[in-house]
Amino acid sequence: MFAHIFINRLKCLLRDRETIFWTMMFPLLLAVFFNMALLNVNNDEMFKAIDIAVVDDSSYQSDRHFKAALDEASKGDGRLFNLTVTSKDNADELLNENKIAGYIVVEEPIKLVVNKSGINQAIVKSFIDSYMQTASSVNSILFEKPNAQQELVSSLNERQQYVKEVSATNAEPNNVLNYFYTLIAMACMYGCFFGMREASDIQADISPLAARVNISPVHKLKAFIYSFCASLILHLFEIFILLMFLRFVLGVDFGPKTGYVILTSVLGSITGVSFGAFVSAIVKKSENIKIAILLGVSMTGSFLAGMMYQNMKYIVAQNVPVLSYLNPVNLLTDAFYSLYYYDTFSRYALNIGFLCIFIVVFSFGTYLIIRRRKYASL
Amino acid sequence: MQVFKLCLKVLKKNKATMLIYIVVFLVVSLIMSSAMTKDEQADNLFIQKKSNIAFISQENSPLIDGLKNELEKVANFVELPDEKEALQDALYFRSVSYILRIPKGFTESFMKGENVQLEKTTVPDSLSNTYIDLCIDNYLNNARLYVQHVGDISQESLVLHLKSDLSVNTSVELKTKSDKAQNHIYANYFFNYMAYSLLSVLILGMTALMLVFYDNNLRRRNACSPVSARSMNLQFILASLLFTVFTWMIMVIFCLLYNLDNSFNLNTVYFLINSLVFAVCGASISFLIGNLVKSANAISAISNVVTLGLCFISGVFVPVEFLGDSVLRIASFTPTYWFVNANNRIAELTEFNFSNIEPILSCMLIQLGFALAFFVVALVISKRRRFE
Repeated sequence: MFAHIFINRLKCLLRDRETIFWTMMFPLLLAVFFNMALLNVNNDEMFKAIDIAVVDDSSYQSDRHFKAALDEASKGDGRLFNLTVTSKDNADELLNENKIAGYIVVEEPIKLVVNKSGINQAIVKSFIDSYMQTASSVNSILFEKPNAQQELVSSLNERQQYVKEVSATNAEPNNVLNYFYTLIAMACMYGCFFGMREASDIQADISPLAARVNISPVHKLKAFIYSFCASLILHLFEIFILLMFLRFVLGVDFGPKTGYVILTSVLGSITGVSFGAFVSAIVKKSENIKIAILLGVSMTGSFLAGMMYQNMKYIVAQNVPVLSYLNPVNLLTDAFYSLYYYDTFSRYALNIGFLCIFIVVFSFGTYLIIRRRKYASL
Repeated sequence: MQVFKLCLKVLKKNKATMLIYIVVFLVVSLIMSSAMTKDEQADNLFIQKKSNIAFISQENSPLIDGLKNELEKVANFVELPDEKEALQDALYFRSVSYILRIPKGFTESFMKGENVQLEKTTVPDSLSNTYIDLCIDNYLNNARLYVQHVGDISQESLVLHLKSDLSVNTSVELKTKSDKAQNHIYANYFFNYMAYSLLSVLILGMTALMLVFYDNNLRRRNACSPVSARSMNLQFILASLLFTVFTWMIMVIFCLLYNLDNSFNLNTVYFLINSLVFAVCGASISFLIGNLVKSANAISAISNVVTLGLCFISGVFVPVEFLGDSVLRIASFTPTYWFVNANNRIAELTEFNFSNIEPILSCMLIQLGFALAFFVVALVISKRRRFE
């Protein structure tokens, strides 16, 4: 009996092209979009030289140290600035047309003229700050050791980096991963469309198909569980395709614990499908309303887990920590990320524990609603 | 005006679904725009946002104390226990964005002129962290100069010297025409997001209309009515334009109301014109999609793929600076790219002379070109469909 129901149900589901699109093609497409959009976020070569100007007057020409420093910073491939040496009027005009981020006037102290305040302007300011601070150090050293000038100039160029990055764990912290993890979580939750169908197709007062199934001499719960299995297997298959696509085509890193990643996806898939069944059983309205609720919950969940805007996840975690545990999408995302990031399992176990509670609530709830229901008239 | 009225009736019937979209989009774009604005304002020349850092020192010396005092200018210190898990959690939940560890023996080696380093653990891609790096590097590089060249300097006098050296600051002059610096970041983000919401709602409404009008039986019935095809089409176009403008107005009004302080300037006018142009373009895209789609079920699939795809590659969700060159090259074949491009330029406008306005106008013209192209293609398809 199991094989019969299972296989026929599988065929039935496979022919539902719309559901297949939403549960498989849509996450795959989103993954491609994410990849295109986020390709450069972690890329170091993103920096583009900043266009600046310096006012060409006698004080600039006579300050040969500053001039040398600016020239040094505007040379070569990895240069900081594209420098224009020009008159004050011309610099003003360039600034007005947004052709430069700002211009420098050599006075005492050196002045930076900008028309707005953003990251590029901050970099220029830091550069000048740093130059003036070093100059001040040099002056006070020369005051004490007037004959050190020659050595000083040579050691000025040996600017060192005094901090080195040490990762807190074995994994590099990576912002982009979170987007892909929320995407998998969303795809898992989209399993709810399968669950919704299952619950609708077993309640005789909702669909004609269910009415037919109900008069067949099969125990209702068995019929439900068998076809539920078909949905689950199909959805799991889709999730694995997504995982493979992310891992091998787009090269998303899941960390070394492959077995646990698969376990998480399986649990996620069960959560999604049982969530759909639960909502479908509890809401006695039209299919459109059910879809609206399912979509609303999973999209809001994804948004709060940081799918559209990554910092949302941290905003929630800091301000309303309860919400991050009540959001299955966030639990799943977090589970994936803690597998990648942490060396220990405590955080992962916490997420999975909450997820299991959700699964139990959804499944048991569905069971309570659809069990033992008889229909006198349809 | 029967056709016109019918259009409005169809739209009214679908207003619930569209309203959901509008409300959700408005809420999301309001949240996102304000969050982004906050982020962006943090990178300000004049008000430096202090990031939270954990300062873990395994030794005590005047040099380290001096560094700590210097760091106070750019950071708040958060006390954390020196345990691996606690530190990981703190970084994970962003209660600190930077953990600085000073290894034992650092001061001694440093004062001898040896090559030593501090250890940091950070949240990646955080701009404020760059300032902390910079601050530490400045402090220690200047300190190194003293150590190398003033042979037997004591730590105390070194710190005193550094303190006065590092207090030197560039003077910054902010030049804008108006008295207060205007802030268009919010409007910029809002209008960029509008590309997504506007497109979604327009596609939803237009396809609903088209599905009714392209129903075969209905079309045949309409064809034998004594209303000329021309008048019918004109009424249809009029109704869809009305719908477009109405949707556009709802969204725009919300933005202006929310951002009232910054709304009364020429930039806003350009934002409005640009978004109206884009709305027209969106209407013609929806017209095209409506001509291609044959079933109601396919609408949501196509509308999502089209809107999300357009918005992702042309910098609506992810700022243009983050997108790769090849992606942008593809994106330049889409109207959203030019819409976003124009918005970003408008946000930067401080002076309204022709050389500044010209690129914006050409962006708008390109959008209109796209609108025309989509419209023509849609007409060709609909002509073909009529003979099916």
